[in-house]
Amino acid sequence: MKGRFSWLLVAPPLATALVFFVAPVAYLFWVSLHTPSASELYGKALTIANYANVLGDSFYLAIIRRTLGVAAAILALCLLIGYPVAYVIARLSPRCRMIALLALLFPLMVSNVVRAYGWVALLGRQGVINNSLRDLRLADAPLDLLYTTPAVVVALMTILLPYMTISIANSLTALDRRYEEAAQALGASPWRTFVHVTLPLSTPGVASGMLLVFLLTLSAYVTITLLGGPRSKLLVSLVYDGVGAFQWPHAAALAFILLAIALAVTGIILAILRPGRVQGARR
Amino acid sequence: MTADPDVRLDGVRKRFGTVTAVDGVTLDIPRGTIFSLLGPSGCGKTTTLRLIAGFEQPDAGNVYIRGERVTSVPPYRRNFSMVFQSYALFPHFTVAENVAFGLRMHRVPRRERAKSVADALALVKLDALADRYPRQLSGGQQQRVALARAIVVKPAVLLLDEPLGALDKMLREEMQVELRSLQQRLRITAVFVTHDQEEALTLSDRVAVMRNGAIEQVGAPRDIYDLPRNEFVAAFLGASNFVDGEIVARDGEHAIVETASGRMPLRADAAIGTRVRIAVRPERLRIDRSEGDGMKARIRDVVYRGPVTHYYLESAVGPLLSYRQDARADTWSIGDEVCAGFDAESGVVLDATSR
Repeated sequence: MKGRFSWLLVAPPLATALVFFVAPVAYLFWVSLHTPSASELYGKALTIANYANVLGDSFYLAIIRRTLGVAAAILALCLLIGYPVAYVIARLSPRCRMIALLALLFPLMVSNVVRAYGWVALLGRQGVINNSLRDLRLADAPLDLLYTTPAVVVALMTILLPYMTISIANSLTALDRRYEEAAQALGASPWRTFVHVTLPLSTPGVASGMLLVFLLTLSAYVTITLLGGPRSKLLVSLVYDGVGAFQWPHAAALAFILLAIALAVTGIILAILRPGRVQGARR
Repeated sequence: MTADPDVRLDGVRKRFGTVTAVDGVTLDIPRGTIFSLLGPSGCGKTTTLRLIAGFEQPDAGNVYIRGERVTSVPPYRRNFSMVFQSYALFPHFTVAENVAFGLRMHRVPRRERAKSVADALALVKLDALADRYPRQLSGGQQQRVALARAIVVKPAVLLLDEPLGALDKMLREEMQVELRSLQQRLRITAVFVTHDQEEALTLSDRVAVMRNGAIEQVGAPRDIYDLPRNEFVAAFLGASNFVDGEIVARDGEHAIVETASGRMPLRADAAIGTRVRIAVRPERLRIDRSEGDGMKARIRDVVYRGPVTHYYLESAVGPLLSYRQDARADTWSIGDEVCAGFDAESGVVLDATSR
C-alpha cells in the first residue's frame, strides 16, 4: 500500500525523464548509427562510419585532446585557486561566510556573452592589454592573446571557479572540527592535520566541484566560440558545425563521443576521490 | 600523593565575549588518578578540558603538563590525548588505521606501530574488528576504538569529554567499570568531564564540582557526597533535604540546632547563635512512628522504585524526602503521621556564604 503510493509520487518525474531525456538520447544514438542523407534527418543504411571517421581522423583526435587538455587545465586552476579560498571562507563566521558566498555568486549574475565580450575587449589586438603594452612601449607589435587556447582556459576558468569554490566551502563548513582537533590531540601538526584529515574529508566537495566544472567545461559554447575563434575549437564547436552543415548523423556521433568522455572522466574522478568513503563525516 | 601532579592549572581564566567560561580555576591532578570535572552544562568543565588540551587559550593563568608550562604550546606539541563525546573517529580510516594515527604522527616505526595497535585493540577487545570502518561499528565499539586510539600513544594525560554520554544506560555502566579497570591497569592520569554525578562518583579518584566557571568543591567521591560544602554541591550530587535552623547550645563536640520542628544535635563547629542550613541525604533520613523524637511530618506520597521506596513528606521545616531500602519492614502509606529524624553525623552544615 505504502509502496504503491510512493511509486505514484515518483511516477510523474520518472515519466518526464523518460520522455524528455532517455528517449531522445536513445533516438540520438539511433541517428548516429546511420548514413547521412541530403533530404532526410538520416539515411537508410546502418553504419558505424560516423564513429570510425571521427576516431580515425587526426583532426578530430587533436580536438578531443585539446578539449581534454582545456578541461584538465581549468580543473587544475579551479582546484588550486578554489581550495584555499574555500578553506578561508569555511572558517569565517556564518555571517561573513554568507557575504563571501554571495560575492562569489555575483559574477554568475552577469551573462556569459557579456563576460566573453569583456574578455574580447581586454585581449583583442586593439584591446586594453595590447594598447597598454604599446603605450608603455613594452611591445612593438600587438600580441595574439585572443583566439587562443589559453584565452579560452582563463575565461572559462573565471566563470567556473565559483562552482568549485562553493562546493568545497560547503564541504569544509559541514566538516566537524572535532576531527581536526582529534588529529592534533594525536600529535598532528596543522599541516599534517590538513593532509591526513581535512583534505580527505573534504573530498565530497572536491569531487562535486570537479564534476560541475568538468561537465560545464564540456558543454560551454559561447565562451569557447567568442574567445577561441576558429583556431581553438573544442568538441562542442564541432557538434554545432555538424548540425550547421546538416550532417545530423555525424553530429550525433560527436555528441555521443562527448557523452562518453563525460561519463568516463566522471567515473575516473569518482574512482580516485572516492567521496563515498567519508560518508558519515558530517555533523 | 607524593608524586608531582601530571596536570596543574594555576588561576586559569577564559572569557568568550561577555561570558566568563572559566573563572580562575586552580587544580592539581596527581599522577595515575582519574579526576572528574562535574557540573551542569555551561559550568565551564568542557572549556577547562579544552584549556588543558590547548584548543583554547587562557586569558589569564597557566597550564602545566608533567611540570612543563604549556600555556602557549600548541595542542599537537602537548603530551595528551583525548576521547571526544562524538568519538571523532576518522571515517576514511579503518579501526586499525585510526588507532595507528597517533603513532604515525609521532613517527613510530611501522613494525613497532603494528604491534602497539594490536595490543591496544586487544586491550579494548576489538582485535577482531581491526579492518572495519567506523561507520560499520556500534556506538559502544566506536567508543572503544576512540579509547584505544587515545591510549596507544601513552599520553601523560588522557582527556575524556563526556565519552560515555552517547551510550545507553546499560552500556554506559558497563563501560564505566571497564574504563576504571583499564585506567588502573595502565596507571593513566585521566581528566574526565561529565554532567552525570553517578558516573563521576563511580569512576573518579577525585571530583571537582563546577558551577559558573568556578570550582565549588574538590575531593574524593565519598567526601563530596557525604560532606558537601554548600547547597549547590549537595543538590547536584543526588537529592538532599535542607533544614534551616539556629545553633542554640553546645554539647561537647555536638551543636544543638533549633529548627521549626524542634531541636536536634549536630556535628558542627559553629558558635552559638549562628544560623545554619543543614543538608541530609534522603537515605539518612529515618522515618519512625509519630511518638519518636524528631521532626513531625506527614506522608504526602510514596513511590516504589524497586530496591528502594521514596517517601515524600510534609513538615514544618518544608518538604522532606526519605529513601527506605526494605519497604516491608515499616510500610507507611499516604496520610500517615510520622516522625522524621537523622543521626548527628548525617546532617551536614552548609557554607552559608556560597549558596
